[in-house]
Amino acid sequence: MALPSSTKEFDLKQAIQPNKLAGLWALTAGYKKAYLGATAGQALAALSKTGTYLLLREFVDNILGGQDGAGALLWIALGFIALAIFEGSFTFLSGRLAAYTAEGIALRVRNYLYNHIQRLSFTYHDKTQTGELIQRSTSDVDAIRRFYADQAIGVGRIILLFTVNFIAILRLNTQLALLSVIVIPIIIGTSIFFFRRVTKAYEAFQEQEAVLSTTLQENLTGVRVVKAFARQQYEKQKFDKDNWEKYQRGRKLLTMHSLFWPISDIVCGFQMLGGFIAGSLMAIDGVITPGTYIAYAGLVVWLIWPMRNLGRLIVQTSTGLVSFGRVLEVVREDREPLTSGDFLPNQGLQGQVFFEQVSFEYDPESRVLNDISFECQPGQVIALLGPTGSGKTTLVNLLPRFYDYTTGSLKLDGVELKRYPRKYLRSQIGIVEQEPFLFSRSIRENITYGVGRSVSDQEVEAAARAAAIHDVILKFPEGYSTLVGEKGVTLSGGQKQRVAIARTLLKDPRILILDDSTSAVDTETEAEIRTALEHLMQGRTSFIIAHRIQSIMNADLILVLDKGQIVQQGIHDELVNQEGIYRQIYDIQTRIDVELEAEIASVSEPAWAD
Amino acid sequence: MSDTYYEEEEFESQFNGQTVMRVLAQGRPYWHWMVGFVVSIGLVSVLDAYFTFLSKRIIDEGIVARNRVVLMEIVTQYGGLILVQAVFVLAMIYLTGVLGERIRYDLRQKIFNHLQELSLSYYSRTPVGWIMSRVTSDTDRIAELITWGILDSSFAILNIMSSAYFMLRINARLAMIVLATIPVLVVVAIQFRKRILAEYRQVRKMNSKITGAYNENITGVRVVKALGREDENMQEFSGLTKQMYRAGYRAAWLSALFLPTVQIISAFAVGAIVYFSGQPAMLGEMSIGGIQAFVSYITFMMWPIQDLARVYAEMQQAIASAERMFSLIDSVPEVQDQPGAVDPGSLTGEIVFEDVDFYYDNDKPVLSGFNLRVKPGETIALVGPTGGGKSTIVNLVCRFYEPKQGAIRIHGKDYREYSLHGIQSRIGVVLQTPHLFSGTIRENIAYGRLEATPQEIEEAAQLAGAHEFIAKFPKGYEEQVGEGGNMLSTGQKQLISLARAVLAQPEIFVMDEATSSVDTITEALIQRGMENLMKGRTSFVIAHRLSTIKRASRILVIEDGKIAEMGTHAELLRKQGHYYRLYTKQFRHQLEQEYDLGRLTGGASPAPAGD
Repeated sequence: MALPSSTKEFDLKQAIQPNKLAGLWALTAGYKKAYLGATAGQALAALSKTGTYLLLREFVDNILGGQDGAGALLWIALGFIALAIFEGSFTFLSGRLAAYTAEGIALRVRNYLYNHIQRLSFTYHDKTQTGELIQRSTSDVDAIRRFYADQAIGVGRIILLFTVNFIAILRLNTQLALLSVIVIPIIIGTSIFFFRRVTKAYEAFQEQEAVLSTTLQENLTGVRVVKAFARQQYEKQKFDKDNWEKYQRGRKLLTMHSLFWPISDIVCGFQMLGGFIAGSLMAIDGVITPGTYIAYAGLVVWLIWPMRNLGRLIVQTSTGLVSFGRVLEVVREDREPLTSGDFLPNQGLQGQVFFEQVSFEYDPESRVLNDISFECQPGQVIALLGPTGSGKTTLVNLLPRFYDYTTGSLKLDGVELKRYPRKYLRSQIGIVEQEPFLFSRSIRENITYGVGRSVSDQEVEAAARAAAIHDVILKFPEGYSTLVGEKGVTLSGGQKQRVAIARTLLKDPRILILDDSTSAVDTETEAEIRTALEHLMQGRTSFIIAHRIQSIMNADLILVLDKGQIVQQGIHDELVNQEGIYRQIYDIQTRIDVELEAEIASVSEPAWAD
Repeated sequence: MSDTYYEEEEFESQFNGQTVMRVLAQGRPYWHWMVGFVVSIGLVSVLDAYFTFLSKRIIDEGIVARNRVVLMEIVTQYGGLILVQAVFVLAMIYLTGVLGERIRYDLRQKIFNHLQELSLSYYSRTPVGWIMSRVTSDTDRIAELITWGILDSSFAILNIMSSAYFMLRINARLAMIVLATIPVLVVVAIQFRKRILAEYRQVRKMNSKITGAYNENITGVRVVKALGREDENMQEFSGLTKQMYRAGYRAAWLSALFLPTVQIISAFAVGAIVYFSGQPAMLGEMSIGGIQAFVSYITFMMWPIQDLARVYAEMQQAIASAERMFSLIDSVPEVQDQPGAVDPGSLTGEIVFEDVDFYYDNDKPVLSGFNLRVKPGETIALVGPTGGGKSTIVNLVCRFYEPKQGAIRIHGKDYREYSLHGIQSRIGVVLQTPHLFSGTIRENIAYGRLEATPQEIEEAAQLAGAHEFIAKFPKGYEEQVGEGGNMLSTGQKQLISLARAVLAQPEIFVMDEATSSVDTITEALIQRGMENLMKGRTSFVIAHRLSTIKRASRILVIEDGKIAEMGTHAELLRKQGHYYRLYTKQFRHQLEQEYDLGRLTGGASPAPAGD
């Protein structure tokens, strides 16, 4: 049961080979002996089985024929038991080794994919769908597991059974042997043909199942609409239509099965019967002994019937190969190196940032950032303002090297950013998003997530207090141990943000990136959060992505971005006196305040008149 | 693909005669099919055993007796029976399978139909995932039990019995040895099966945990990177996969041990048969063919036995499934027509809340002693914080729930004296998050009135302000909206749900305004559509937009289940109370949107707290 040590070291890229089967073979590294052992076990089990029938022949011809005494009888009886024990042991051994291989490889692939996916670049995740990745990591991995556990070994078993038994029958009587395999190509051919179709019919059936699920789910989640329009009857009919279609497709699938099995029964049955006739005629003529006939009648069963399953296994194997290919597509992607970089500062970061003609693009046609130049000193506050898609988020994402700038120079404390290892940078930069992602674990774990050291309860509580979330947490049923998400409490946007602030406080980074963090919070807590944020920003270089001017009036530098370029920069007093986006925003906000006063004044007048 | 992975627990239940009878009763309408498949199973399994007996006769009466004529007779019979058996195999698979599909179909329909009648309260306390599992996996398990379960077990029992019969006929004394091993085999097989099943359950549980872990790590990958949590995550995850490995490996090797164990036990029977039949005293009593038949019977007996064990082990799960499914079917809707309920004819009269108490949970009152009188044609705007009771008032108007104490009167009569359909078909509802169904735009609008003509649908869309954008789609009204309407923007979904309500020509209009911001043009369209809808209709609106609030005949500020303030916009603003605070915040927010500040700043300022 011990896990093989090779589990951790294997690099799945080694399984990328022009031929998928060769790739699957490469994937068995460390399990090759076990898997070959599993195959050998199948061969030995097949031999034992064959041995049983040959022993039966001995018994019939020599004992029942009445030539030999009782001495041999006991040995023959024990022989049957011994052979069964052999067969059983080898079957078990083979099954166990195959399971060891298949489960071990599945474990290896699961771990590799998990780690691989979390180390793929932002760019990759930007363009990939979550559902797609999950499917590859779960159902496709399971298909690979089945390939080793059932399919490859199953094909091997059938071929070995056939070979061993065929040789045995050949040795009993050549003619009989050749006569017994006439229909085998037909059986394999039809079963492949049949199972290909069944796979298709099954897919159609599954598709309808998905349709039915969607209909059901939409009905359940839309129950208010259904009731509001009193559409129960209509919904019943709609569901009935999809339900009936599923029934029809299921019936079609069953019709195919109910035709295949009896037809192949007939083919296999008559093949056997043909063998019986030929064999018994030979026995009557004395060409073979009765014992040989009995051995033949036993062996031929294992020659013919397993062939029906060969087609099924071959068809299933092809789906295993498809899954393997889909997994490799993910494996092919390159990871983001976390520790590469030749510079690590002796003492902590200062937080001086210098952008010089920095540009960034995903592909040559679309430049996301263009010629960005500015500079800030340690501890300063830099505000970024601009429309959606102006490049604000991309700009701050350059700092932790989520994306690497394509041209220009970006220096941190005077050293080119690309020389710092990503891991180091990320440990020095704290990010508080507008609607932070929380994990479905306890609140405490969410606050200490990624802090990278053990944190005392006092520290956690102090951070939560500073982030104005402590009192909220205490009101939850299990306090700090309350789970976040579906199985626990649902936090509001503002509460999530405050958890993220507490988390960042514990992390104690030198550089801070804030996405106008108070935006989703109600008035009562807004003031508290302001204080918490100011506390957080103290002594750290802070980048604020802002949506309102009120929150950035005191910034040391305001950058106004548009279409990936800095169109204005300066401090509030300067910008407000310039033509440009900044003034437009400022004007609108001022006008709103004026209008609000006017509105209230307008209704107030009658009150005075009263 | 859905982003939430509902973790399903698995249950097991002890054998319960009543439940089993009720499960079996599901097959009653198809009793003739059941008779057909049971007869087929019987014939197929008896023939199976009989073939072995024929093989014995080939040896004894053909080969040993050197009689070609008898041999030919036997093989002719053999060949004929192969064909006969094939026909019954066909019938058996077809009837069993189709019956299974049919019962699945029936059960799903039965549950679904019942779900349509259940009240909203049922849905608010039951997760959708739980209900989905009842309709999908439970119906599967139950149908499986009454079809393949019956097939496998009756096949197994008949097959063993007929084998026993033939063995007894060939040699009674030796047959007794074989029969003695059967109980041992059955007990061993059941023990194995139970354990294997338990391991597989563990595998499934781990599998859903692993899927959840993938899901979370992928959706949260940016946070993971920002916090440099990769190594710890990997460590945690390998803990999960290690458990999965253990469970999977254990399940696999238990399965691998199962058959060999059964084989070895039966080999002792073979050994014994050989030994005893070879004894000088027995010589002549046991024919060569007899030996061959015994060996075959013993070798192939393990298949029916292992099927039997599997059915037995799975039956407990199926019974648990049945119990849960029946609990759903048996649950009684809380809101339903009272005896003698009549169609109200119209709902245009005065609506009166009379000392209404309401709560979802016994210990948390939502409304208490609530009174309100709404004149025909009035527009009532409900404002106030989340959880104050606005939605409850609206839910009561729609009769999604009924008052626990007090009454709601329409035309002076308690509305419980009217039929549910009579009330709900005359109320038009637009929800905060518009819910669309997969299908075309046309189908979604027509949901408001199924018999509407294409022209009426277009008119409704025009009134709601939806026509313009619909006409721009390549397929116009035939455009697919996608699952849950996800091919459309939020604003477009809102417009379509407005059109749907317009088409319904309701007498009372209920709306929960959306808070999510849409672009200015769409916003204007929605406003116009709402105006059209409210014209001349008694309306209840959970309001967020200034224009809606201002237009209302009366504004109710609902706090803690009570009317905190009531009056017109100007009256309330002058009070400088709750309404004043709510309004100034909303004003700021909305004007920022109207001036399209978001275009300049890439985001809107806060939507006011409260929903």
